[in-house]
Amino acid sequence: MDSVAFPTKLFLLHPNPNPNFPSRRTLRVHCTIRQINNPLSSDSPRLKLRRLVSEFESLPEPLDRVKLLLRRASSLPPLPGPDRVPANRVMGCTAQVWLSSSMDPLSGRMRFAADSDSEITRGFCACLVSVLDEASPEEVMAMKTGDLAALNISGAMDSRVNAWHNVLVGMQKRTRAIVASGEGRPPVQLFPSLDVSADGIKAKGSYAEAQV
Amino acid sequence: MAFVLTSPSHQPLSKLFLVRRGVSVKLSHSIINRRHPNPNGSRLGFQRPYSSSSSSAVAAASVTPLAESGERASGSPSLGELVRPDFPILDQEINGVSLVYLDNAATSQKPSTVMKALNQYYESYNSNVHRGIHFLSARATDEYERARKKVAVFINAAESREIVFTRNATEAINLVAYSWGLTNLRPGDEILLTVAEHHSAIVPWQFVAQKTGATLKFVGLTEDETPDLNQFKELLSKKTKIVVVHHISNVLGCILPIDEIAAWAHNFGAKVLVDACQSVPHMVVDVQKLNVDFLVASSHKMCGPTGVGFLYGKIELLSEMPPFLGGGEMISDVFLDHSTYAEPPSRFEAGTPAIGEIIGLGAAIDYLTGIGMQKIHEYEEDLGNYLYQSLRSVPNVRIYGPAPSEAVHRAALCSFNVNNVHPTDLATLLDQQQGVAIRSGHHCAQPLHQYLGVNSSARASLYFYNSKKEIDVFIEALKDTIGFFTSY
Repeated sequence: MDSVAFPTKLFLLHPNPNPNFPSRRTLRVHCTIRQINNPLSSDSPRLKLRRLVSEFESLPEPLDRVKLLLRRASSLPPLPGPDRVPANRVMGCTAQVWLSSSMDPLSGRMRFAADSDSEITRGFCACLVSVLDEASPEEVMAMKTGDLAALNISGAMDSRVNAWHNVLVGMQKRTRAIVASGEGRPPVQLFPSLDVSADGIKAKGSYAEAQV
Repeated sequence: MAFVLTSPSHQPLSKLFLVRRGVSVKLSHSIINRRHPNPNGSRLGFQRPYSSSSSSAVAAASVTPLAESGERASGSPSLGELVRPDFPILDQEINGVSLVYLDNAATSQKPSTVMKALNQYYESYNSNVHRGIHFLSARATDEYERARKKVAVFINAAESREIVFTRNATEAINLVAYSWGLTNLRPGDEILLTVAEHHSAIVPWQFVAQKTGATLKFVGLTEDETPDLNQFKELLSKKTKIVVVHHISNVLGCILPIDEIAAWAHNFGAKVLVDACQSVPHMVVDVQKLNVDFLVASSHKMCGPTGVGFLYGKIELLSEMPPFLGGGEMISDVFLDHSTYAEPPSRFEAGTPAIGEIIGLGAAIDYLTGIGMQKIHEYEEDLGNYLYQSLRSVPNVRIYGPAPSEAVHRAALCSFNVNNVHPTDLATLLDQQQGVAIRSGHHCAQPLHQYLGVNSSARASLYFYNSKKEIDVFIEALKDTIGFFTSY
């Protein structure tokens, strides 16, 4: 399946130069992750996203799209208390967002659950979870923020406050860490930081590496 | 917690205004209409109701403001109306409705004269400063140094070499922290701040404290949510080496008596660094009268370009401080193994500065001075009280900071929360549906929000080009938005 078969708008901002992702050089997951041969199989993230985009595109009024987002939020199960911990916070959102991630040991697919104290952000989370839950790690990594622009809900897609961007990047970082862990490699620091002490300043994790 | 509505359904704006979309509205005192006629009619009153998702519903909106504001009742145009034509950016529609810009504490809009000054620099005399001998460089240097003098006069510094240009106020604070702080702080010394400081006033001192062994101490709030001045006095001691404090809180809106705080601090030999980002743009600030040692402010919050801030420092302190960044301009002589430093302010201005933007800041100061800072302050105080009282009338709204009174003066901003509606949700729909720009989040004051027991808040912040009419629009839009979230 080729990306050109999708609505043009869908990949307008970030065309995928290699629709047959994965980029093994980047992910190095080929030993453990099953290759997805048909990216538009009935439950593929691309198809789910396409359906989601169609659903939003059928509503010309911005307010109706917001209402749809809020309905999505209502359908998102609340994250259990033990998962609403600082380690699961998605940083960079103006609202609080928690994202729990794991890999199904049998299928090798990613499982996501998310929550937020903002209803609109919960709606974003619900959409992303519906698209990427049970996706392969490669499919998670292949998703681009620009792919979500077609939903045309609100805000600049690359803004630091944008929940789409932050939650998607959060999903990808966690996926990368889980894959690395499964392969016995040290996971990349999710939140690279500088340790400042009397002995000097040391980088803890690499910002560049932490970016997908 | 249950959310109790005073009305079972939200109230569409169509009931609150009597203006037909697309029909010109007669605003007898409006300079906006007189000098910048809007082909679509009034700039205000086009906010979109939530009662119908169809844009055609807006066409039926017909309006007269219910609240006849004081500025109109007085019979003469308000300051906001008078200066409005100078800010063409405000005369636009966002998402199909007229923009109401209430995010001025984040950044201000720029008058045409500032854009003109920037343009003139790049079109007529763009050149590097201080080192060229040709005509353009000499002119650029003259204008650049003239801007420094303007800043000095604006805050009444004793001399212009007490003004150091930086990239922003954050860099100015970092300059003091790294240059003065690393040189003067020792293990056991204390740095006194308040819990209401901006991150840019906290984090550099965390770095310096960790490197020097000094300790950070924080003043809390009183019951009326103002930094506790009694605790300030109690925490000051001979261990205190520097007090880092805001003049006006970007969240609470309270104005601190910096002159008194400086006097208390100086009694213990401590220096005082004031974050004046929210005061310099809005009121007369006199560094000599306040008797502070350092003061920082930001160009973009005072009608100037982005990329420029400044540090005021008493010359005797600046003269003793080592450079912050190394490079050109800040040195006197460079040898292979060492360099000798230039005198302040050049010592702290390594590399080519933001020349055009600094000249633009000078133009902004000319503009503000032309209006008069006292006039701006008085107008904003009235506007700010109107915002506070209007916001307080909205059910289930909690405003942070002290209530204004005869004795308590607030800045023209309100941070607030609405029961059971996230501030980001509010801000998102206010923007998308109503064209009202406010801020949501922690406003770079997470410790303060933690102290207040919330994660975030919404904030509406005004400047002298805003009007009571815009506040009316914001309040009605807010009511609509709250209604939407409690009934969708």
